[in-house]
Amino acid sequence: MSSARANRQPYLLLLPFFALLAAFWLVPLLGGLRMSLYSNDLTGPGEYVGLANYRALLDDARFFKALRNTLAYTALSLVTILPLALLLAQALRMTFTRLRPPLTFLLLLPGLTPPAVLALLFLLVFHGREGLLNQLLVEPFGFKTINWLRDPDFILPALVLQGVWRWTGFITFFFLAGMAAIPKTLFEAAQLETNSRWRVFWSVTLPQLRPVLLFSAVYLVVDGFATFSGAYVLLGGSGGTADAGLLLVSYSYQQTFTFGQFGTAAAMSVSVAPLMLGMLVLCFAARWRRTH
Amino acid sequence: MSAPHTLYRPPHRRPSVLATLCVAVAGVLFFYPFLWMFLSAFKDNREIFKPLQLLPRAFDPQYYRQLFNGEWIPFFQVFTNSLVVAVLQSAGVVVVTSMAGYAFARNRFAGRGLLFILALVVIMMPQQALAIALFSWLNTLGLVNQLAGVILPGLVSGLGLLYFTQVFRQVPDDLVNAARLAGASEFRVYLTLLPLVSSALLSFGLIQFILAWHEHLIPLLVLSSAEKQTLPIALAGLYGSSLRFPYAVLMAASSLILLPTVVLFALLYRRFQSALSELLAH
Repeated sequence: MSSARANRQPYLLLLPFFALLAAFWLVPLLGGLRMSLYSNDLTGPGEYVGLANYRALLDDARFFKALRNTLAYTALSLVTILPLALLLAQALRMTFTRLRPPLTFLLLLPGLTPPAVLALLFLLVFHGREGLLNQLLVEPFGFKTINWLRDPDFILPALVLQGVWRWTGFITFFFLAGMAAIPKTLFEAAQLETNSRWRVFWSVTLPQLRPVLLFSAVYLVVDGFATFSGAYVLLGGSGGTADAGLLLVSYSYQQTFTFGQFGTAAAMSVSVAPLMLGMLVLCFAARWRRTH
Repeated sequence: MSAPHTLYRPPHRRPSVLATLCVAVAGVLFFYPFLWMFLSAFKDNREIFKPLQLLPRAFDPQYYRQLFNGEWIPFFQVFTNSLVVAVLQSAGVVVVTSMAGYAFARNRFAGRGLLFILALVVIMMPQQALAIALFSWLNTLGLVNQLAGVILPGLVSGLGLLYFTQVFRQVPDDLVNAARLAGASEFRVYLTLLPLVSSALLSFGLIQFILAWHEHLIPLLVLSSAEKQTLPIALAGLYGSSLRFPYAVLMAASSLILLPTVVLFALLYRRFQSALSELLAH
């Protein structure tokens, strides 16, 4: 009796979501596909050029540079942020209860700050020889001052550092919530067997945190591919010296608004999408295999 | 067996001074630039470029005054724009995704799996990757240089769908069945369940508020006139706009831009953490 009712009603609940999805995701996606098949005309509707934009992309060394940079940025962020956040979350668990919220909050503050502001702070922090990082952490240890935003070897690390500063607190917060969700009995059982905090962490905490780890990894991968604001503000919309800080989003922004190459920019977005999809499917597949 | 169990004092319960020190050092490193920023709102340009000099010579609020006077950017206008975008977008996302999440979690219908996968694909495409095509589509719709052009595309979140599907799955079956037996429509059942999941709604709203407050690329593309811009765009535009521009104004604005997200987060901290732990405990 209620099956007829239940059959139509769910669609009504889904309607707003899928209407907006169609209007603001599917249409731009198809529009991007179409755009990538037309010539780069700023003045009017260009002509159909087939796959020419894609072929041009294959010859574009800057595209591959941007792709490499983005992959490196994402990978470096992952391998820095996840262990660091894990360490901090565990340390926060072990600290005095009263100190936990204020300390967590200090770590979270960069995550509550718009990346444009973080980048501005970074401009001043990294600013040449007088920069905070050089004065505080590089020179006192006897290293030569680093010109973070000019030296091509250090531009990408500077961007990663900024990402680490921004996200570590939030990921720590997620890990803390995940740790709080682990049943106490599991810890008690493990503590009967061993006195080593390290082994309890390794045998109970880490395996139980797997879903949160997966979520964080997916989040950071998506964010890595979408990173724009920091690089845009830090490098003034360019790729930096020798394009060392050129990322995919900033390159397609540049292609569109500096060079008017709509078609090339669209071809770039379209080519990157399957790559990202593949990476995320890999992430999910790893989880799927473990649980099934 | 019970005697050793109760006598046993797990070493983990004792707070560790070393761990506290580690976090405190990290906390100071993360926080120092902000402290410097708050204090730099009172410095002239010569003082600002000495990051080790923490304190200004005097606490003269002249740079805050310049900011509020609208000498550099229409601050209150831009702040209001940001607030309108963030509030409407976060409220909208919560309504749209929680409705869809309820439908996926609590109903069986044809095409359910396919629609869910379609939605998942959405998460994987960051909007930034579609930005150029999105911009030209918004141009066709006449939404360029309108706040609606920023808000509307932000109303769909694949992550939100996943989150609320999980949240509504965890609501006890009895409650759903009771509401259905009373003859309520599915929409009514959804409405009845909302108070039960209020922490989840607020938490996700908070995340969306933060993301909308921070968004740079889409507003940069869509909003061209100075009166329509959002805060991050206006601030990024100020930087390097002129040589005699006092950076302290930028620091003052940057300090104020933190207020809404920090206050909201502080207010919702506990609810956010418990909502998250509850979700993960299942």
